[in-house]
Amino acid sequence: MNLPKKYITSFEELRQLREQFNRVEGISQMLVCAGGGCLASGSDEVISALRKQIDAHQLNQQANVMAVGCMGLCVEGPVMLMLDDMTFYQRVKPEDAEEIIQQHLLNHQVVERLVARNSFGDKVTPSINDIEFFNKQTKIVLRHCGRIDPESITDALQAGIYQGLGKVLADMTAEDVIEEMKNSGLRGRGGAGFSTGMKWSFTRNSPTDQRYMLCNADEGDPGAYMDRSVLEGDPHSLIEGMIIGAYAIDASQGYVYVRAEYPLAVSRLQKAIDEARQYGLLGENILGSSFSFNLEIRMGSGAFVCGEETALMASIEGRRGEPRPRPPFPAQKGLWDKPSNLNNVETFASVPEIINRGSSWYSAFGTKESKGTKVFALAGSVRNTGLVEVPIGTSLGELVYDIGGGMLDNKPFKAAQLGGPSGGCVPKQHLNVPLDYESLSELGAIMGSGGLIVMDDEACMVDVARFFIEFVQEESCGKCVPCRVGTKRMLEILTRICEGHGKMEDIDQLIELGELIQETSLCGLGQTAPNPVLSTIRHFREEYVEHIRDHHCRAGVCPSLVRAPCQTACPAGVDIPGFVSLVGEKRYTEALRLHRNRNPLASICARVCFHTCEEKCRRSALDQPVSIRAIKRFMVDQELETLLPEIRVDVTNARRKIAIIGGGPAGLSCAFFLARLGYKPVIYEKEPRPGGMLVQAIPAYRLPRETIAREIRMIENMGVEIKTDHVLGRDFTIQQLKDEGADAVFIAIGAPEGMKVDLVGSDAKYVVDVMTFLREYNIRGSVPVGRNVAVIGGGNAAIDAARTAIRLGAETVTVVYRRTKEEMPAYAEEIDEAIQEGVIIKNLTAPQQIECDSTGKVIAVKCRPMRLGEFDRSGRRRPEANQDECFKLAADQVILAVGQRLDPTVFDGNLSFNNKGWLKADPVSGLTSMSGVFAGGDSVTGPMSVVTAIADGERAAVGIDHYLSGEQHAFWRTEQENTTDYDPESDPVPYPRESLRVTQVEKRRNNFDEVEQAWNETEAVRQAKRCLRCDYGKCPDHQKESSNA
Amino acid sequence: MTENKARCTCCEELTEQEMLEQLDELITDYLDKPGGLIPALQISQSRFGYLPESVLKKISSRFNKSYSEVAGVVSFYSFFSTVPRGRYVVRTCLGTACYVRGGKEVLSSLKKELGIDVGETTEDRQFSLDVGRCFGACGLAPVIMINDDVHQRVKPTKIRELLKAYTDEKVEEPCTTNAMGDA
Repeated sequence: MNLPKKYITSFEELRQLREQFNRVEGISQMLVCAGGGCLASGSDEVISALRKQIDAHQLNQQANVMAVGCMGLCVEGPVMLMLDDMTFYQRVKPEDAEEIIQQHLLNHQVVERLVARNSFGDKVTPSINDIEFFNKQTKIVLRHCGRIDPESITDALQAGIYQGLGKVLADMTAEDVIEEMKNSGLRGRGGAGFSTGMKWSFTRNSPTDQRYMLCNADEGDPGAYMDRSVLEGDPHSLIEGMIIGAYAIDASQGYVYVRAEYPLAVSRLQKAIDEARQYGLLGENILGSSFSFNLEIRMGSGAFVCGEETALMASIEGRRGEPRPRPPFPAQKGLWDKPSNLNNVETFASVPEIINRGSSWYSAFGTKESKGTKVFALAGSVRNTGLVEVPIGTSLGELVYDIGGGMLDNKPFKAAQLGGPSGGCVPKQHLNVPLDYESLSELGAIMGSGGLIVMDDEACMVDVARFFIEFVQEESCGKCVPCRVGTKRMLEILTRICEGHGKMEDIDQLIELGELIQETSLCGLGQTAPNPVLSTIRHFREEYVEHIRDHHCRAGVCPSLVRAPCQTACPAGVDIPGFVSLVGEKRYTEALRLHRNRNPLASICARVCFHTCEEKCRRSALDQPVSIRAIKRFMVDQELETLLPEIRVDVTNARRKIAIIGGGPAGLSCAFFLARLGYKPVIYEKEPRPGGMLVQAIPAYRLPRETIAREIRMIENMGVEIKTDHVLGRDFTIQQLKDEGADAVFIAIGAPEGMKVDLVGSDAKYVVDVMTFLREYNIRGSVPVGRNVAVIGGGNAAIDAARTAIRLGAETVTVVYRRTKEEMPAYAEEIDEAIQEGVIIKNLTAPQQIECDSTGKVIAVKCRPMRLGEFDRSGRRRPEANQDECFKLAADQVILAVGQRLDPTVFDGNLSFNNKGWLKADPVSGLTSMSGVFAGGDSVTGPMSVVTAIADGERAAVGIDHYLSGEQHAFWRTEQENTTDYDPESDPVPYPRESLRVTQVEKRRNNFDEVEQAWNETEAVRQAKRCLRCDYGKCPDHQKESSNA
Repeated sequence: MTENKARCTCCEELTEQEMLEQLDELITDYLDKPGGLIPALQISQSRFGYLPESVLKKISSRFNKSYSEVAGVVSFYSFFSTVPRGRYVVRTCLGTACYVRGGKEVLSSLKKELGIDVGETTEDRQFSLDVGRCFGACGLAPVIMINDDVHQRVKPTKIRELLKAYTDEKVEEPCTTNAMGDA
């Protein structure tokens, strides 16, 4: 559009001009994003390739390529929008240009491979209006971003920019404008959320000969870039908003303070200012009125504190950007001591639309206290990273899951960080929080400038806090002591915690110091600097405690506490790189010995462990995680004769009497480690066979009975006695054990009772609890099974029962679960194998009632379909009843698998329980409220995994030994040097992950033979070589100390 | 810390004497502007790549300010450098989004590849290494900036290739005009 430049002298002319500029009909407009994100993804090459293709096809009269500002969906960049039919193309490459021109422009067919798909991936959604990321947004600030050419004033005029200014100058007094702003409820978008109308009226009411209108575009909060997008995508709307504001406060000079990191924003804004001046929209007598206003850009020079208003003004004045005390407020004494008004880019960009469409239109968006919309920069571990604008009050969960498309790689949501270094974290139990100023500050976070970083379980909250404090410490201008010295002290404390040298009192000291800095710092930077620390302590205190007390970083982030992330992820702390690399050198005996050093039940875990180690494996960043459990499976199969571990004979310990109640993994593990210290503990087991859930609940096709027996024999051979058929509360009490001379007692009876459900008909005939069902079959060898079995629940026990029922001849087995398949607590591979064997999984289905015939026998389960509603405290969407009709699921047997519990009546003495009914025990030693009585495993934690029970048993063994001897003797906790060969310069081996083979469905669904088949040696060694050896050259600091000691 | 970025580095061979000769013309426009000192320093640094003491002395006398005041401003803002910088300033973003998506690993890979620490310049004056706090490309984390080019989703293992594109560049980069223009 080569229209002549024109000096506009009235509102009427401005209106006419807009009509003249109407886009020429019949030209297909192709808008390609040239925002910062897409440019980094190569959109400039896409633009020139498209233009070349248009030339080549001689389509210059029919098509036009326009470089526009940010469209928001940065993650899919470069993106483009075909304006004729609103097709949205993503991840466009220069080589796609020809196809787009040929197929879309000439043949009017969508290029399907370049368009988005719906969330199930089964349907293409070519139109931008059908893509969830876009159609759930409300764009006011970003209304023109991505739709106009930011470097063309004619495009801006045609889009209606400056019409609001025309209206203001022609029809409104300054008071009218301020009143309109107050009525709209617009609050400052820079973070503090002060009423824009009020701020303007304060500045206007300060008598003076000169006032200044300032724009804060020093977007320094890491993680926020909405200002950048407005500057780069729609600079004229910012200019228009500033002129309107200047008119309202009667300012004749304005400055936009832009950070130096945004060179593209600076050049586009400069061009816009120059053009606006040429058109008579800036300068003397704007649009023929008596109002004059000049605007200049001032570039920041890399100082975060200059985002603070008084520091920003000092910087414009050409001085060091140090803040000064307020009052006087800038509205009285600001830039060069003249009344000045400072607003943020987003605030100014909202102004013209409020003028155009009225304050009541604007205030219809948002909540009671916070009106309008807010732009958020979604980043971190979320699928659709980019810029989104939503009405204030939209819930965090909607933002992350609906617009954001959910978590990257389906990892669990841990927290969202809002407001950058001045803000705080919102944990998963608050996913329903409405994003408004008040609700967020109640949680210790702030709206801030709108940076929203989503974090999954790979983020360490202590490290995040340390990161922010390091940031403010470096950016502190140094003028006031609380900020300069206080943040330094906080950083020192946090660094020491991350390095494993923290003390428990550090947490309270951080809180005390933080509150002091908040109260006594000079400016906003210092006053908000402690927020990230205080908020992570508030919501994630247990992570601080783990760093200090256990030297454990659960996310596997803090280098001094993490030898290898797999090892950190293993509850038992097994030296995984150690045994894997030993397998790689065919040193199987050493490998197994190393494994049993921390986890005696290696063969059992090789079959049933839920392998959190693999989830944290760093190789998954390269391709896929190392098959750790499968390597372990091969390793344990090489054991011909069970070797005993190192045992330190101790006559004193041997004489001490220790009673362990419960022969499950926790009890066995405790006995094993006590035996290594020379104790001779006795295990009291309720059932005729020891093993707990291993033998009672886990079916033989997953865990052969001989495997369990072998490792239990090993433990017996170490001097442990096991007395079966000894029932606590029936045959003996804890007091009796003590009376008989027990020096210490360890309670590890698990969570053996099935939970009752409040369901009509649950007392009918052939309704059975899952634990009873599994135990009957696994211990006594037979259990009645129906023809059509319904299993209610979604945990491992439910799947075990379903697969057992299939093997015992049930014709149909249906698992009914009220949430989605992804949310089932059972291991994914177990669910998949169950489905292969014919188990039907009915997700999003809630049982309503169990129906019986006249004899009281089950005939059906009445079910109601569910849909996903709001987020609950666990961060999962709560299922809600759907409108659909209930349906009946025919069943002659119902297995209830809705949870397990502990029967408190078996205990005597003064044991304390938590509010969920589990035993209270010290997390380090396992000591309960009774002296000399320890507890661990499921009866403390609730139903968990085998390996967590093993870890609990080890901790209790160390706790008991310390209780009796007053000293630490856990020699197995010292890290062992890895003696395998490794060349750190070598490239990772290229071959992919293999999984274990499973027996074919036809061959396995009628029997209880083991389903998984071990590898041969070649495969095992090859797979072991895939380990990246994260442990290489690392010995955690605190370990060095303890081994030196 | 966010460090400066040398916009034009093709003139790095200028002697201080030549700098002083060019300086007058460069800063004249800013002398009478309110708050003109910082823009004058910015444009000087853009032209010369850094701000040697002699340049600062001359600027202070032209602005009628004490040397200590000007030096105080220069030391306050991380954009300014008083030592020569490399032809390419490589800045690793350690903003929140980049930090949680592996910015630290990218930085250590850069250090290893260039053989320098943060704030240093390679011996051949080709590369300087700095840390930045958010370049506003959080959706594409982790990112690095080499002069004004933003590189997205950087993999620590791909750093060598990425730098090679710059070392191979034989043509002199044209002087990009200062984006501030005639503000």
